[in-house]
Amino acid sequence: MNPIIEVSQLRKSYQTYERGHTLLDSIKSLFHRKPLEIQAVKDISFSVQQGELIGFLGPNGAGKSTTLKILTGVLYPTDGHVSIAGYVPWKQRKPYVARIGAVFGQKSQLLWDIPPLDAFYMNKAIYGLKESDFRGTLDELVELLDVVHVIRKPTRQLSLGERMKCEFIMAMLHRPDIVFLDEPTIGLDVIAKEKIREFIKEMNRKGVTFILTTHDLGDVAELAKRVIVINHGEIIFDDDIAALKRHLGDKKLVKLTMTGDVPAYLGEGVAVLERLSSHEAKLEIDTAIQPLNAFIQMCSQNGVIADMSIEELPIEESIKALYSYNSEQPNNNTNRKDQKHVKIDASAGRKGGNAHSQTSGRSV
Amino acid sequence: MTGSVQAFLAVMKTVVASRLAYRGDVFFSLFVTLLGEAILPMITLLIYKSGASFPGWSLEEAMLVQAVFMLAKGIAYPFFYGMVYNTLDRVREGSFDVLLLKPRSALFMTLVTGFSIDGLGRLVGGAALFIFALSGLPMPSAAEWLGFLLLMCLSACVLFASALFMSGMLFRWVGSSRVYEMNDAATSFGRYPLSIYSKPLQFVLSSVVPVAMISYFPAATLLGRSTPGLYGAAAASVIFLAAGLLFWHYMLRTYTSAGG
Repeated sequence: MNPIIEVSQLRKSYQTYERGHTLLDSIKSLFHRKPLEIQAVKDISFSVQQGELIGFLGPNGAGKSTTLKILTGVLYPTDGHVSIAGYVPWKQRKPYVARIGAVFGQKSQLLWDIPPLDAFYMNKAIYGLKESDFRGTLDELVELLDVVHVIRKPTRQLSLGERMKCEFIMAMLHRPDIVFLDEPTIGLDVIAKEKIREFIKEMNRKGVTFILTTHDLGDVAELAKRVIVINHGEIIFDDDIAALKRHLGDKKLVKLTMTGDVPAYLGEGVAVLERLSSHEAKLEIDTAIQPLNAFIQMCSQNGVIADMSIEELPIEESIKALYSYNSEQPNNNTNRKDQKHVKIDASAGRKGGNAHSQTSGRSV
Repeated sequence: MTGSVQAFLAVMKTVVASRLAYRGDVFFSLFVTLLGEAILPMITLLIYKSGASFPGWSLEEAMLVQAVFMLAKGIAYPFFYGMVYNTLDRVREGSFDVLLLKPRSALFMTLVTGFSIDGLGRLVGGAALFIFALSGLPMPSAAEWLGFLLLMCLSACVLFASALFMSGMLFRWVGSSRVYEMNDAATSFGRYPLSIYSKPLQFVLSSVVPVAMISYFPAATLLGRSTPGLYGAAAASVIFLAAGLLFWHYMLRTYTSAGG
C-alpha cells in the first residue's frame, strides 16, 4: 500500500537575530544585530500509512512544530519533498487543506466572543459543506464529545476542556482524512483528556490518520502505535512504542518486599532506585543481564519474598534518555553567519527504521 | 463564485457578531471616528469663512473633494484596512496559521476576517458631507455620475493596493504598528484639489503613486471640470493594484509563523 504521507529530505532554515538582555544590548540592537541562521529541520525523511496514529515527539525547540507547519501547508520548506494524499502542501494549499484537519492547542480556530456553533457555521460556508452533511457530522461529533449544552455559549465562557472539544469539532466538520494535532491536551484535566483521547481513538478506528505532537507522554502511551522522535531538527527515533520502551534495554521496574532485610547486593544488572525501608525497595532490573527468574531465585536464596510487583519502565524514561543524549551534543540548531555549521550524524530518520545508530540500544 | 460570496457573507456575519459583543465600544468608536473625520472639513470651512480659499475652487467644490475622500476611506477602512491590523496581530502571535488552514485564498481569508464595522463611521460622515457639498452645487449629469462611479472603483483599487502594501510589509517587519500613520501621511495629499500642488508633485500624485485618484479625479469628474492626466492616473491605479497583489503574495511566502 502506498503511504499517505511521504516526507523526503525535508529542510527548513530561517534567519533571526541575536540580542543580549541588557538595556545597552537593546540600544545596540537598534543599529547592529548579529544574524543567526536557525536550522529548524534538517533533512528529515519518513512515511506514514493511511490509518496510522503517530506520536511526533521532541523537546521544546526540536523542530516538531515547524515540521507540522510545513506538513499542513502553513510554511514553505527551504528544501525537500513532501507528498500528502497526492498533494504538495505548500504548492496546492487550497485543495490540500480541504482534505486535512488541524488542532493547534495554543492557537484557537474558534471566535472568542461568539458561540462555537456560529464558528461551525462559518466553517461550513468556508468549506462549502452541504447542509445535510454538515448537520449529520455536527450531530455525531457533538454527541461523541458530549458538548451539546456547550456549543451555544460564548466561547469565552467555556472551560479549557470544553473549548478544546469544540476545537476538535471545528477541525473535523469537513471529515478530513488526515488530522494534525499539536499539543491537543495541553492544560486539560484528566477527564477532559480521557474524553479527547477516546474521541481520537474512535476517529482513528474509522480510518482517519493522525499525527500527534505532544509533551504529554500519557497521550503517546495511550494513542500512538508508532513514535517519531525529533531533536535538533533531526529524527533520532522512528519505530513502534514497544521498541521505544526497549530502547533503554530490557529493563523492568520491580517493587520488592521481603520478610527480612533486602540484601545490599542483588546481582549484576540490578540497580536500587529507592530503599523504602530495610525490607522494601524499588529496583530496576536489566533482564538481558539478569533474567527475572534468576533474580527471583537469588532473592529466595537470601530470604523470603513477602511481595513483588513487576512493571515495564515508564515511557518517560526512554524519552528522557533520547532527549538527554541529544542535548549532550553541541547545539547545532543555530548557526552564526560567521561560524561553520557543525552537524551530527545525518543518517537519522530512516524510513521504518529503528533508533538513530548513536542512540540505539544500550549506548544510551 | 457563489461559494465565495456565501463564504464572504458567512465570515463577515460572524466577524460582525463578534464585534457587536462589545456594543458600547462599537458606538463610541463610530462616534470618535466620525468626529475625527469632521475636523478637516471644519478647517476648510474656517479657511473659506476667513476669506482665504484654494485657488479656483469654491467652498462647496473643495468640500466635495474632501467628502469623496471620506467616502473612499469609508469604504477602505471597513473592507480593506481591517486586513492590516489583522495581519499585524496574527503574524505577531503566529495565529495567521489558522487562516492558512482554510481552503480559501489566504488574501480572501485575511480580508474578510479583518472586516471592521468601526470604519463605517467614515462612510456615514462622508455620505453626509457629500450630500451637504452637493446641495450647494448644480446637479451633475448622468454621464458625470457614471464617470464618478467608475472612478470611485479605481479609487477603491488604489486604497486596496495601499492596504496590500501595508499588510504585506507586516509579514517581514513584524509588529510595525506605524504603517497606518505612514499610509495616512501619504494619502492625505488626496484630501485637496490636485491643482494646489506644484506640477512635478501633480505628476507624482497622479501617475506614480495615484493618490489623486482617491478623491480628486472622481470629484472633478462629478463637477464636470477638466481632468488632465486622468488616463495616466487610471492606468497607474490599475498598475498600483497589480503591484500590491504581487507584493502581498511575495511577502506571504516569507511568513515564518511563531514558535510552537
